[in-house]
Amino acid sequence: MIKIENLEKVYKTEEIETTALNGINLHVKAGEFVSIMGPSGCGKSTLLNVMGLLDKPESGSYKFIDTELLTLNDKERSNFRKRNMGFVFQNFNLIDELTVFENIELPLIYNKVPTVERKRLVNEIIGRMNIVNRSGHFPQQLSGGQQQRVAVARALVTKPKLVLADEPTGNLDSTHGNEVMELLCELNETGTTIVMVTHSSHDASFSNRIINLKDGHVISEKINKGKTEELI
Amino acid sequence: MFKLNLKIALRNLWKYKGYTAINVFGLSIGLASCILIFIFVRYQLSFDKDYVNGDRIYRVVTSWKYTDGNEFSSSGTPLPLPAVFRNDFSQFEKVAAIQQSGGIIKAKAQVGKAEVKDSESVFYAEPSFFEIFNYEWLSGNPNQSLSAPNTVVLSEKTANKYFGDWHKALGNSINLDASKDFKVTGVIKDNPQNSSFPLEIIFSYASFNDRNMKEWGSVSSGSECYVLLKNGVALSDLAKPLAQHLNKYENDKDAPGKVNHTFQPLEDIHHNEDYGNFAQKNTPYNQIIGLGIIGLFLLVTACINFVNLATAQAISRSKEVGVRKVMGSPRNQLIWQFLSETAIITIIALLLACVFAELTLPKMENLFGGDVSFSLFGHPIIFVFLFGLLVFVSFLAGLYPALIMSGFSPALAIKNKVAANAGGVGLRKTLVVVQFAITAILIVSTLVVIKQMSFIREKSLGFDTEAITIVDLPGDSLSQLKYNSFKEKLLAVNGIKTISFNAGAPSSGSNNETSFTYNSSKSADFQISVKSGDEEYFKTFGLTILAGKAFTKSDTTKEFVVNETLLKKLNIMKPEDAIGKIMKIWGSSGPIVGVVKDFNNYSLHEAIAPIAIFSRKTRYSTVAIKLDTKEVASAMKNIESTFNSTFPDYVYESNFLDENLKGFYETEQIMGTLFKVFASVVIFISFIGLFGLISFVATQRTKEIAIRKVLGASNLELVKMLNSSFLWMVLIANLVAWPVAYIFVSNWLSTFQYRTELNVWPFVIAMIASMGITVITVSLRSYRAAKVNTIDALKYE
Repeated sequence: MIKIENLEKVYKTEEIETTALNGINLHVKAGEFVSIMGPSGCGKSTLLNVMGLLDKPESGSYKFIDTELLTLNDKERSNFRKRNMGFVFQNFNLIDELTVFENIELPLIYNKVPTVERKRLVNEIIGRMNIVNRSGHFPQQLSGGQQQRVAVARALVTKPKLVLADEPTGNLDSTHGNEVMELLCELNETGTTIVMVTHSSHDASFSNRIINLKDGHVISEKINKGKTEELI
Repeated sequence: MFKLNLKIALRNLWKYKGYTAINVFGLSIGLASCILIFIFVRYQLSFDKDYVNGDRIYRVVTSWKYTDGNEFSSSGTPLPLPAVFRNDFSQFEKVAAIQQSGGIIKAKAQVGKAEVKDSESVFYAEPSFFEIFNYEWLSGNPNQSLSAPNTVVLSEKTANKYFGDWHKALGNSINLDASKDFKVTGVIKDNPQNSSFPLEIIFSYASFNDRNMKEWGSVSSGSECYVLLKNGVALSDLAKPLAQHLNKYENDKDAPGKVNHTFQPLEDIHHNEDYGNFAQKNTPYNQIIGLGIIGLFLLVTACINFVNLATAQAISRSKEVGVRKVMGSPRNQLIWQFLSETAIITIIALLLACVFAELTLPKMENLFGGDVSFSLFGHPIIFVFLFGLLVFVSFLAGLYPALIMSGFSPALAIKNKVAANAGGVGLRKTLVVVQFAITAILIVSTLVVIKQMSFIREKSLGFDTEAITIVDLPGDSLSQLKYNSFKEKLLAVNGIKTISFNAGAPSSGSNNETSFTYNSSKSADFQISVKSGDEEYFKTFGLTILAGKAFTKSDTTKEFVVNETLLKKLNIMKPEDAIGKIMKIWGSSGPIVGVVKDFNNYSLHEAIAPIAIFSRKTRYSTVAIKLDTKEVASAMKNIESTFNSTFPDYVYESNFLDENLKGFYETEQIMGTLFKVFASVVIFISFIGLFGLISFVATQRTKEIAIRKVLGASNLELVKMLNSSFLWMVLIANLVAWPVAYIFVSNWLSTFQYRTELNVWPFVIAMIASMGITVITVSLRSYRAAKVNTIDALKYE
């Protein structure tokens, strides 16, 4: 589903140039659950941002089901993103001024889903995420775990082909963290492709494949077959 | 989506209540001022706009050019002119003469209504006047009602006043000056307030008689002539026939001045101060433009607050922008979202502004002497203006912050990594400088206007103005016979010091200029201003005689007293040299017996004219009475009763001289008040904006302040650090404002012949005041920021 080739991304300031991605090649199949790991500053968040069309690389190719995405303009990127991708962030990134229901509804509004259908879809996902009694609350009124559930619900409500998760459990305790990981696994089992950036080996163990980055390079890839690990 | 954006907007406004309050309050005060200015400007621009043929109506005005370079103009024309124009000019569809006059109007007692007697302004008009100007006739029509002598048409209001109901007025009579009866033959609808033609009582022109009926050389400003051009005729088509007319009738080679006529467009009549008008209401275009500029200043100042606070707030909204972008919101949608937020604030501010404006309207009516009534929603155009204001302010204040916020990179925004200066610190500083430059300009201007007005109040005009009352006198020959007995009765009244019969105070609205001869049979090459008064004129008004003496008592002109300016213009060095020289004015000749020290005969806008004072009883129209300041009230009562018993057919009217003189500066007084009010508003808006901005800066720098404190900075050092950039901005703003303010105030002062010295003080005071208020405003907030508990601040971050 995703074919990334020779991706390069350089951050420039007045004095220094930092290479965040240095010739990255990565293929992700439909229905896969891929974890990206590596030390701080290795480029994993940058890679996720590029995959989510939130950032532009200097060169390389990024194909999503045979569509080259790096040649799209801003508007086309927005359109592609809202139709095909869902995001889950470490810091939840819910809009404080909107209620749980309204936060989840937001991507549907951008996708121009009719009101009645919108309400149905939001209610459905709220039920699935077990946050029905919180739908009228504002994010500040929820616990971290609940906020991340809302964020996951918001990422899933448009039924995206790809979910990008950036340290989804980073701000959660282990109980709530596990809950979120289970949610992502359930989602993956229904066929959604997931790419997750994480520091946690525990979280990565939920995925099918683990990609290790260092200094902007892919240094290793592990296939996760149950508890057996095979080094490639 | 709109509903959701609205929700976010309202919730955001609520979340940042303090800043919302500053924005809304500042903006609403600015908008209220703009609405008031708009109502006033709309009213002024609406004058004389309701006539069907307005674009073809012109007033014929007269001007004279003298060889010494002096020019003089009048709204009037020689009395024979209208009839000649009607015959000689094929370009005119209609020509009409209208004469302004005054008199005592009496209507006999009606059933259930007592006799009414009033001193009124009246007009004599040809029927064609009403063919040029379409008035609504409740009864009668111009040709029937105004063609015969001794007929009169009344306005609805006047007819109701004299006869209880205008229907009853028709066929009844009113009496003018206790001599002639006029039959009411028509009633017209009342004039609107925005008219230069306050026609209430209109006699047929056939009833008008004047000794100058056939005189081309005499022009009174009350004798006006209006023409209606034929369709398709341009003003340039009139040049040739006008030149022929002037040569044939008016330009006498021996006359000192060259006469010319100009066709003044109807729409110019309310705005051109050179000629005046029947309504005596003039608002020059430069005043309207000046007010418009102040309105724009107010709006810009309020919008700057908005932009500054919105861009300062931008960082805290970066996450929302990031999330929306991640969800797929295109940039233009975000721009619209932020613009609609601005529009919401503007709408709230606009509603509040309407309330403020409505509350202030009565004060504005008072400012204009109560003869204007303003209404907020009386004219549909106000809604167009309000809508325009909404769009203009929303874009002016909202577009820049919207562009900034919508331009955040989503990858950085969702991680709150948008740079702290993303909101355009440089721009914010520039805007603060612009805002305070505007404030400083207005402070300087206000100070100079106040200084000039106090200069006018305090400047000696060269004659006494205190405790002198001017009483109008009836001018008919029968009344003139009673002048002496009236004077004797008055002299018996306690509290009266001196009495002088005259045709106008040393400085008054009515000035007569005429040609004269000095020690020669040939007219001088300039005109002289004449003042008629009796022998007590000098004593009553406290004029100083420099040489010779006042003239002796006489009913006719036998001797002259002149002023210093006349001697200067005639190149006479010593006042004594003029004594005994023969002058001839208005056909009377006699020696100069005295020279008076110069006094201001016009307003201080104009230079002193050459003046001759002489006695001529037939011209006296007022009596000036110098009162003992301790007995003014009782004396005034006695003067009124003495007048009423001496002239029972007339109406007593009196004014104090100093009040009359104040009337010269009514426009300046109004401008001064407007400046004071609007300068205060701008200062207020600027400083609440500054308070908002320092609050934001202090919040943003909480962590930095705490770290500095940990490292040993004192509260004072921290306050200094936070204040210094603001003080620099205000200092630069003042420096920017000085040249602009200087050009503005020196231009304004140059309209006064006599003016206060423009020195550095208003500029220095403006700087000290603005910087002083800045220190107080900024310190209030920065001290609080500096005092904050370090541990809390660091934990918070």
